Amino acid sequence: MRRRPLLNTQTNSKVNVKVDSSVETRTMVEYTGLSLDKRLRQKRSHTYVEAMAKLDAGGVQCKHGEVAQLIQEIKNEFPDLQPYQFPIGIIAKCYLGNEYDVHTLDTKLDIIRHYKKGEGVPTELARGKSLALHPGYEFIEVYTDTLRAVNLRGDVSIIKG
Amino acid sequence: MSERVIHTADLSRLENNINTLNDNIGVVSDQVNHVNAEVHEARATLENLIAEFQEFVRKDQLEKNVQLSETRLVKVRQELETNFGHYGDVRRRVTGILQAVDVSLVKKETIANSSEEQMLSAPRYWLAPCLIALSAWLNDNEELAEKAMREAIRRNDEKTSLFFALVTRRGARYKSSREWLDRYFGLQDPHNLEREIVILIDGFTNGIFGPDARAKTGKKISAWIDELSQKTGFVEEQHEQWKTALESRLPKLDDESYPFLRKYSPTWSGLQSSLEGAKLHKIIGEYFNDIFQKEVSPAKNIAFAVDALLDTLVSKFDEEELPLRSEERLLSLTIQENGDKSRAQQLFDNEKTTEKRVSFTQLLTNFAMHPDMSNASIATQKFSIALSKDWIKTAHDDITAENRAGIPLQVDLSINQWQGKTEDGSNEGELTGSLETYMVNRCDEALSKVKLDLKHWAALAGGVVFTFLGFGTTFLFVLAAFCFIYFYLGKKNLQTRKDSIIAEFDNLLSNSREILRACLAEVVDYRKEYKEEDENAVIVTEFLESISPEQYSFSSFDTARAVVK
Repeated sequence: MRRRPLLNTQTNSKVNVKVDSSVETRTMVEYTGLSLDKRLRQKRSHTYVEAMAKLDAGGVQCKHGEVAQLIQEIKNEFPDLQPYQFPIGIIAKCYLGNEYDVHTLDTKLDIIRHYKKGEGVPTELARGKSLALHPGYEFIEVYTDTLRAVNLRGDVSIIKG
Repeated sequence: MSERVIHTADLSRLENNINTLNDNIGVVSDQVNHVNAEVHEARATLENLIAEFQEFVRKDQLEKNVQLSETRLVKVRQELETNFGHYGDVRRRVTGILQAVDVSLVKKETIANSSEEQMLSAPRYWLAPCLIALSAWLNDNEELAEKAMREAIRRNDEKTSLFFALVTRRGARYKSSREWLDRYFGLQDPHNLEREIVILIDGFTNGIFGPDARAKTGKKISAWIDELSQKTGFVEEQHEQWKTALESRLPKLDDESYPFLRKYSPTWSGLQSSLEGAKLHKIIGEYFNDIFQKEVSPAKNIAFAVDALLDTLVSKFDEEELPLRSEERLLSLTIQENGDKSRAQQLFDNEKTTEKRVSFTQLLTNFAMHPDMSNASIATQKFSIALSKDWIKTAHDDITAENRAGIPLQVDLSINQWQGKTEDGSNEGELTGSLETYMVNRCDEALSKVKLDLKHWAALAGGVVFTFLGFGTTFLFVLAAFCFIYFYLGKKNLQTRKDSIIAEFDNLLSNSREILRACLAEVVDYRKEYKEEDENAVIVTEFLESISPEQYSFSSFDTARAVVK
């Protein structure tokens, strides 16, 4: 009579011990719907607000390193979010000079651009322009379906659509 | 052969005919242009007429709505009186008995007899057996009191429990009062509260139930909020609820403000709603401030306070009356909104004060924003606002941001068919230049269309021909003279028409320039006013940050401090 095999005695299955460096070791809870809304409503940290307020610190020509640093700040601010849940861009008032109006950080294209008065801002970021010009907000995070206006204290106001 | 035919053919008549035809086509073309211009003019007049007519019809409809609502309101009130008037007797008798017992003026038998009569006259009404139980209790008839109480509980458990909690508290029977309150609480689900919970919260915030019950109720309320907050999307729902409540206070800009932008700017509707939205901050700020400025003036003693609560409980919260009460409210709102039914319906939907069951947080919103309809006292209003302050603040921040995002950056202008844009009215020189160029071009275009007709040229030609022929036949000079005079008059008339067109356009230009200047002045005023109103947003934020719920669970009938966790 054949004996019933003991559990877990098979040794021929290979155990994958290779660590994929792109996978974070901590557990990621994926936010969706209302829980994502709630997460994105949370007050922004002081360091994040400071970093974003300095979008024009590097002058008109922005070095690649500075853009990478800002993108890293976004990652640090939302460590529990997936990259596709990050804002598609950030728009803020530009203080480079009188001729400048707003500047934008396009997170997909890794580009910071300064726009002169009367110059057209790309449609998807232009939605936040009038809000970005308001002195009450430091910068505006632009998402596909919402705008999130962040003030100096990090409070977030949401504008749908 | 064929060559000969071509040589002898006389084509001059044909050519003349073609020329004539050509001239005629020119004349017809001019006439068509003329007709076209007239059609444009007629269309503009017609459009004005249609707009005026539609406005007339709208106003007439609104007036009719008000009249109909007024008539219907009287009927609904009559119906309430007819169907539920006898409940009024029972209601009056309850407080009557309590007060009569206070001063010992009425014999117990009288109370017992009259209570029994009420039982017969108000079948199905929960308060009738309560009345019997009350009188039996006063007469020390325990068996009857219990029997009546069971019937009352069967008819309406929540209301009966609250009723006896209030009555026993009035009689200083704290232990019984607490038990009745516990029973009442046990029956509640924070997602779906009975409307009369208002009475309890009003009693609690005014310190009616004593320090123990106050601490207990405070804990219960915190537990409810915790329980509700566990639900995903709860906080977001609160923000939406408060947004709706705050937006129901949106003011309407009066029809006289910014008359030029109203008439000459296609962007006006956007400008109007932005300014109305910005004016909301001050209204909300003042509204909340007023509530917190008001002194809570407690009733002289507990008996008066409880009587007032009992009165509200028995007169405002009966489901049977709810459909009629809802209709009454909607009709009142229609009259208040000058016949605008959709606006009245929207306000009615926002209030949610006449729904059978409400969630606890909706109740807080109702207390804070519609105290008259939800029967909340000043103390309750303060408590509700303090308890909901984070939600209110976020809702207000969102409204503010939406308003700021929506304000038109460019103001479009359309004056007598000329189009222009301005941001803050500073480009007056540029716009005036553009307006002048436009009007000069239009004038030139109109002048180019004013020409002498063919008949005038024919008269001139006729004049010349007749002059030559006149040397042979003298009387043809007379004809020639007629022709020349006709030509001269035509030419003179042409100049008069040109002069009148030039004068007309000069007039139009100076008029348009005035309008443009007025519009730009209004844009400057508008931006200034908007900025001032927008800055008021901070008043609301600062005010809300300064209050806390602990401060406002008010005590007036006991000296113990409130501890709400």
